[in-house]
Amino acid sequence: MTIFKQWRLWFSLLLVMFCFYFIKPNFSDSPQDFKINFGLDIQGGYSYLLELNEEEYKQNLLIKISQALESSYDISSKIDEDFIYIPSNQNLEKLNNIIVQSLGLEIADQTSEGAFYNIITQYFNNSLSDMTLNAVEIVRSRIDFLGNKELSIQKIGLNKILLEIPGNLDNNVKEVISKTAKLTLHLEKNTFVNSKIFKNEETGEEIRVQEVPSLTGDYIQDASLQYNQNEPVVAFSFNKEGSDLFAQMTSDNVGVRFAIVLDGALITAPVIREAITGGSGQISGSFTNESANNLAIILKSGSLPTEITIIQEKQIGPTLGQEGVKKGVYASIIALIAITLFMIIYYKVSGLFTTFTIISCLALLFALMSLINTTLTLPGVIGIVLTIGMCVDANVLIFERIRENFKNNSENPKSEGFNAAYVTILDSNLTTLFAAVFLFAFGFGPIRGFSISLIIGILSSLIVTYIVLKLFINATPERLLGLKK
Amino acid sequence: MINFYSFKNKSYLISSILILSTIAIVFFKGLNLGIDFKGGLNFEIKTDLSKNQISQIFDDFDSSKEILIKKEIGSNVYTIRIESGDNNASLIEEIKIILNENANLEILLSEYIEPTFSDELIKNSIYALASSLFVIAFYVWIRFDWQFAASGIFALIHDVFIAIGFMSLFNIEFNLTMIAALLLIAGYSINDTIVLFDRLRSITSDENNKETFEFNVNNSIKLNLRRTILTSFTTVLALLCLVVLAPVNLTEMPIVFIFGVLIGTYSSIFLALGIVGDLNYEAVLKARDS
Repeated sequence: MTIFKQWRLWFSLLLVMFCFYFIKPNFSDSPQDFKINFGLDIQGGYSYLLELNEEEYKQNLLIKISQALESSYDISSKIDEDFIYIPSNQNLEKLNNIIVQSLGLEIADQTSEGAFYNIITQYFNNSLSDMTLNAVEIVRSRIDFLGNKELSIQKIGLNKILLEIPGNLDNNVKEVISKTAKLTLHLEKNTFVNSKIFKNEETGEEIRVQEVPSLTGDYIQDASLQYNQNEPVVAFSFNKEGSDLFAQMTSDNVGVRFAIVLDGALITAPVIREAITGGSGQISGSFTNESANNLAIILKSGSLPTEITIIQEKQIGPTLGQEGVKKGVYASIIALIAITLFMIIYYKVSGLFTTFTIISCLALLFALMSLINTTLTLPGVIGIVLTIGMCVDANVLIFERIRENFKNNSENPKSEGFNAAYVTILDSNLTTLFAAVFLFAFGFGPIRGFSISLIIGILSSLIVTYIVLKLFINATPERLLGLKK
Repeated sequence: MINFYSFKNKSYLISSILILSTIAIVFFKGLNLGIDFKGGLNFEIKTDLSKNQISQIFDDFDSSKEILIKKEIGSNVYTIRIESGDNNASLIEEIKIILNENANLEILLSEYIEPTFSDELIKNSIYALASSLFVIAFYVWIRFDWQFAASGIFALIHDVFIAIGFMSLFNIEFNLTMIAALLLIAGYSINDTIVLFDRLRSITSDENNKETFEFNVNNSIKLNLRRTILTSFTTVLALLCLVVLAPVNLTEMPIVFIFGVLIGTYSSIFLALGIVGDLNYEAVLKARDS
């Protein structure tokens, strides 16, 4: 039998094994590496797109650079909007180009009195991106402490974080992720110079304190929900450095009140009764169990580098996606049956080959999707339906070409027809493929889900038409193909 | 044989009318921008209540905010779209409470998008669209002559643009999923056009072919006509299944795409090769022959 000499036969068998191997894990419950994940729109859940404040970060960075100039090079400078202004009435010998560059600065404008510097864009973007990576870890640990492990969290762009959590909504999540959690301790001060008033919005309590905090939450090592006379409180402990500072602050100021401030709002303002040397303390206020636990979580995860804004929020109930998938699957099956019936009626035996080709195309598509752990979304399902369409189109192009060759009495109608049509298919599919790749690179959300299944779908369709369909056509005698008049 | 090529002036006229009407519709009626591009809140609820009863729920709500309620075709699902300002993610909880006070409904989906972020999404989508168009043009230009690239891109933009007019006319919500639909139309359109280009190229590169350019164009279309009709037919068939059975929030995408398939088929048969002819591709062929 000549069919066994066809490399396509052996390759098809390999393909079957490949598909079987990679699709199988999807049907087992065990956590496997090769699996298609379902997007939130299918399995339900909630997603948050968080944005860190770029402007605030820039100002913080400018302050840091300005401080570095002062401490390392004895150069005094001023921050003027987005610029650092260095007056020239000081010793600027140390300020050479290399130093300026290493600080991430470039000169923007120079006058006889001084020079304006701004932050090099590249340097700023890198720094912003690093800061976001750091924030990703903080957000991750906050959610972990809430007890939710099945989340996906990733950095998007320079200063965005996408957080996706499948399953039911835990109302604390939003509370916990959106707090910057900048905790500061300020000693009371009754003069107006360098002082500031903080207020507790709930109780109306107010206190005038030193503007510069004596201690910040950066030194906090651990925090937890505890009970003091049946009231929930947040107990915290400082690390070594923090303990020393706290001991010093409390021993120097026995009898003085101090304010505990979180994100600019007063929580409580207790009196220092004695020196606290153990490095631990507790915050009591009007807490509920939940709010005390949330505060403990954000304190021990550390504060976020800037204020955070939720710029996109999605809460998807489980029924929507299930219904969607059920309908999508029905639609695909009915479409598949309708198309194959039509193809069989129109092309007879060849139409039957189309059915096999489509099924192999879908199998390869799912295998490849499992292989690279694709997340399948509803727009992705539509991309798959489009793939079926392109696969059918390829079949039609090939059959029509072969039919034409029969009519023109060509020497080798089957293989000439196939090859001529395949060039056309390559050209048309590759154009779509390239477009889809760019879509994937630049797109966001549903566009990405759609383009990834389109990319994999086009590749699968090109492969199976070249191997499986050609195998069928080669193995079938001309008169049985159903393409001759 | 039908002389498709002779229709080209008529189809230029038809396409001009379609393009001008699209401009007029979009200009006067505008696009029904979804929250992806406008920011705000979006809720999908399943309920037996009527539209009026739902709007009554919001009677006590901030009246300065625009609230749109729409019933999804063939289901008891409603989409509620509410305008919002910046930094308003907490509104989602407020509205959920308002909705849940009315016990006879299930919230399928709630969504908030910050208006500033939606501006970014618009930019991002334009970027994605433009870059894929560029890549398509570049590929066609490399594989074919520039006349084909120019004509193919024109046909493609023509199709996408008129599909936007279709969306505006029927008040179909324009969102990120629709950008995907437009790209689908772009992909389909260029696919169809390239298949014809390929035919014309292979026919004209045959040295024994002494026919006129017009004859060759008509012959390419004729030889591919069955394929064009079959493919459009099967695609529309698959899409109809999606229209009937798609998840409630995705029914509009296949409808737009069906329109795109039809307009794409029209543009590749009646427009694309006509433009190639008018860009004087004949001269290229003559130069090659001599």
